[in-house]
Order: sequence, then structure tokens, then C-alpha cells
Amino acid sequence: MLPISYFLIVSAIVFCIGVYGVMTLRSGIMIMMCVELMINSANVNLVAFSSHFGQMNGQVFALFCIALAAAEAAIGFAILMSIFRSNKNINIDNLNILRW
Amino acid sequence: MSFTFESLIPFAPEIILVIAALTVMIIGLFMETSSKKLLGYFSIVALLASIAVIIAKGVYEVELTGLLAGSLTIDPMSQFFKLTFLLVSLLVVIASIKEFEEHSNQDEYYTLILLGTVGMMIVASAVDIVTMFIGFELASLSTYVLAGFNKNEPKNIEAAIKYFIIGAVSSTILLFGLSYLYGLSGGLTNIDELANFFSMNAELLISPMGIMALVMITAGFGFKMALVPFHMWAPDVYQGSPSVISALLAAGSKKMAFVAAFRVLLVAMIAMKVEIGILFAILAVATMTLGNVVAVSQKSIKRMLAYSSIAQAGYIAMVFVVVTPEALTGGILYVMSHAFMKAGAFITVGAVCYVLLKQNSKAQDVDHIDNFAGLGKRSPFLAFSMLLFLFALAGIPPTAGFVSKFILFLAVLKADYLYLVVIAILNSALSLYYYARVVKYMYVLPPASDEKMSVPTPYVLAIVLAMIGVLAIGIVPEPFVEWAASAAEVLFY
Repeated sequence: MLPISYFLIVSAIVFCIGVYGVMTLRSGIMIMMCVELMINSANVNLVAFSSHFGQMNGQVFALFCIALAAAEAAIGFAILMSIFRSNKNINIDNLNILRW
Repeated sequence: MSFTFESLIPFAPEIILVIAALTVMIIGLFMETSSKKLLGYFSIVALLASIAVIIAKGVYEVELTGLLAGSLTIDPMSQFFKLTFLLVSLLVVIASIKEFEEHSNQDEYYTLILLGTVGMMIVASAVDIVTMFIGFELASLSTYVLAGFNKNEPKNIEAAIKYFIIGAVSSTILLFGLSYLYGLSGGLTNIDELANFFSMNAELLISPMGIMALVMITAGFGFKMALVPFHMWAPDVYQGSPSVISALLAAGSKKMAFVAAFRVLLVAMIAMKVEIGILFAILAVATMTLGNVVAVSQKSIKRMLAYSSIAQAGYIAMVFVVVTPEALTGGILYVMSHAFMKAGAFITVGAVCYVLLKQNSKAQDVDHIDNFAGLGKRSPFLAFSMLLFLFALAGIPPTAGFVSKFILFLAVLKADYLYLVVIAILNSALSLYYYARVVKYMYVLPPASDEKMSVPTPYVLAIVLAMIGVLAIGIVPEPFVEWAASAAEVLFY
């Protein structure tokens, strides 16, 4: 069996890719995909710890998180749809009415 | 482990709301827009029933632990916060009946408010990180949609997408931190067990992984509480959302993060006895100072209230520095009084905006401070209620703001954090400047037009209820203080 540190390193890398993407990308869809990456990296952690300790809590937590990620994606896309209807694009840089 | 019907009875308040929310959603499909107002009244009845069940169960000395496989608990703390959330939702729903009267999707609106309230109530009860996270997400997902509810309004959808992205990122940061905590403790999810484990193995929390976990959990909660490096979303969202939803966000979902942070961070700090108070002192001072300084220059009343809400979060965050029962009592009391003051202020602004838009449907930026000029002549009731809420926010007796600030600051002083109290009091003095400026606009400056404002009854009812809350805590504080103290004891047995 692989040592647990391998899983943790992978999940940390995926999480950092997600954070980097959220901070640099301009398209709403890409940002949502990066958020999914971040959630899934946390899920990898949970499942890895759970099988390492040989108990189920973490896997149950991961299952709940997958469901939550799906709900979150549905809501995000709904909001992006209404942005697309009014702006004809989903570039979030164009949203700058509210500031200071 | 067997599952019985009896084990659900302690959750009657939540179950009532869930059933009401689903009923509203299904009945709404078959109703005309003009009669959907009835669903609002139905939601009010459901919220009142839920409040009645909570009060009937007792709020001072109720102790039911280990519910639903040890994931939820009912204690004075959860009862206190649940009642706060329910009262805020009640005010918001009452005010919404007029604000969303002509909206064709009202049924979904009420469903989302009820479900969001259930999420907040679950967080108030949760003693397991899995349950807590799910309650957190339930409340967040509902409020993301509510923030952008008028989807033809550019401001609304901008607020919604900003809130959504920041909220989703902060939730995943919190989740990542929780997953490290789970791994460090060898597979524990119950908060009490985690606290016991880390009080025996405090060195684990100072390991690199433990520090990462604590930082990420603090950041995750900090985003929701709008503490200073994590606050940038709050002014945009509170300004862009419909006013009644800003009331729900500032008074409800923000307080949800506080109860979760009290349960997780405070317990962790009590257990591990490591000195990280100075970090929270920096956060608290930065939060209250930045909130107040930036609020001074705001032209939009809603944005000003948003910054003032950030500043108030800074006062409450002092509890994480001074980990004593007295300070926690003050913090908990502050949460309830702030809920009333802020909800009342946002609903009053909402009423002004509603009337202005009724008089001139093309009006832009109705929350601009110029629109409040001469409000004392155009609508004495709205001007007086705004005056009361602003003075309460500034902490002037005999209002709730004074009592809760007094108790909180006194507790911080008793714990020998003189510099924190001095900074907090200077900040309160500064905040009086921008609150008084609004009062000057309302009572001294001449009105832009002499047209009288007639305020719709639902708004009046909601504002009067919030005023009663603010004055009741201010004039007869003893029962509320005792109640907050019994809630604070839960974490310090």
C-alpha cells in the first residue's frame, strides 16, 4: 500500500492549482472548475485518512461533500446564466458596478 | 444503532421549517402571482410555531446531548442562537411580503429563506464537524440565490456572483482545514472528542500540519464573519442585494459563523492552552479600525451599514482574544443585539428605497445618502426608527448596543487587555461620527421633495418588532444577560 504522504502531497498540489486558478482566471466557468478542484482535493485527504485509520467517518464526510459540490455547481451555473443573459458574456472582470 | 421516531422529537423546530419550506415550494407551483402573498403569511406562521416550540422546550437549563449519533446537541447556547436566527428570519419575511409582492417567484424566495434558517439552526446545534459543515453549506447555498434574487437587476447578480465565488472558496478552505484536523486526530469528527484529544496532544497542533489546519479553519470562518483580511466581499454583497436580504446576511448568516467559531475555535483554544490570542488581537483591531475608517467616506447607506457591520464583527472577535466566560457572555449578547439593530437598520433602508421606487420607478441609487435628506419631515416614523437603530449601533443608552458593548468591554478590561478596550472605545467614538451624519441628513437638511412617504404596513410591523427588541435588551437587560451567561457556561464547564 502507498504511504499516506503520497496522497497528501497530491491533494496539496491539486488544492494549490485550484487556488491559483480562482485568483487568476477570468471566466466564470473556469473559476467554478477550480473550486471543484479544491473540494476534490479535500475529499482525497478525507478518504486517504479514513482508509489509513481504517474507519468510515471520513468517507461519509467525502460523500456528503460530493453532493454539496454538485448543489454548489448547480447554483453557480444558474447565477452565471443570469449574468450571461444580461452581459452576453461570463467574464467576471466586467462586473464592476459595486466598488468602494 | 437504531433509529426511532422519538429521536426526531427534539428537532421539531427544524422539522417544522423544513416541512413548511417544502409545502411552500410545492403549493407555489399551482398559485397565481397575485395570491402568492399567502405563502408569506404561511411562512410567518411556520416561523412563529418554531419559535414557540423552542421557547416551550426551555431556554435556560436545557441539556440534551448525543442526539442523532452524537452529531447534534441542544443546550442554552444553541437555543439562544436558534432564537436569534428565527427572529431575524421572522423580521425579514414580514418585510419581504411587501418588497416582493409583485415578484412571480415569491414561493421560491420563502422556501429559500426557511431552508437557510434551518441551515443556521443546524450549525447552532452541531457538535460534529461533518454536521456543522453541512449546515453551513445549507445556509450558504440558500443565501447565494437570495442575494441575486432580482435577476434582472445588474447589481443583484453582481452581488450574487461575488458572494458565490468568495463563499464557495471559503467553504473549501474550511473543508480542507477540517480534513487536516480529522487526519491529525486519528479519525475524530466530534468537537468534544477533538478538544479532549488535542488537550492531551497539544504538540500536534503546533506541527506544520496543525498550524495549516488552524489557519485554514480561521480563514474559512473569517470569510463568513467578514474579519479584516477576508472582508472584501461583504460591502459589495450587502450593497448589491435586496435590502431585506442584506438584513438576513448581516444579522443571520454572519452570526452563524460566529456560533460555529465559538464552538470550534474557542473550544480548541481552551483545550490546547497555547498562546495564539495575539493573532486574534491583530485581526480584531484591524477589523474594527478598517471597518469604521472606511465607513466614514461612504455615500451609500447600505455600504456604510456593511462597513459598520464589519467593525462590529471586530468587537465580537475580541472574545477570541480574551477567552473568559464573561467575555463570551458579552459576545453572545452582542450577537443578539447586533442582529436586531442591523436587521432593523437594513429593513428601514429597504422601506425608504421601496417608497422612493414607488414614487419614481426610474430612480437610480436609491440607497444614496442624499435620498435621506429631510426624511424627518417626509416620514417621521422611518426617520425616528433609523435614528434609534443608528444610535443603538453606536452604543448610546438606553439601547441594546450600549448594554452589550458595556458588558463586552468590561469583560475585556477585567482580563487585563487595556489596549484592546482603548482601541475599541476610540473606534466607537469614531463610528458615532458617520451615524450622526445620517441623522444630520434626516433632521437638519431640507428634503429634496416635499412629497410625504406612506410606509406599507408590513415594513412598519417589522421595524416596530426590531425596535422592541433593541429597546427591550437596552431597558431590561438582566434576563438577556443571564441567558447569555448560561449559554456561555456551556463551553466553560
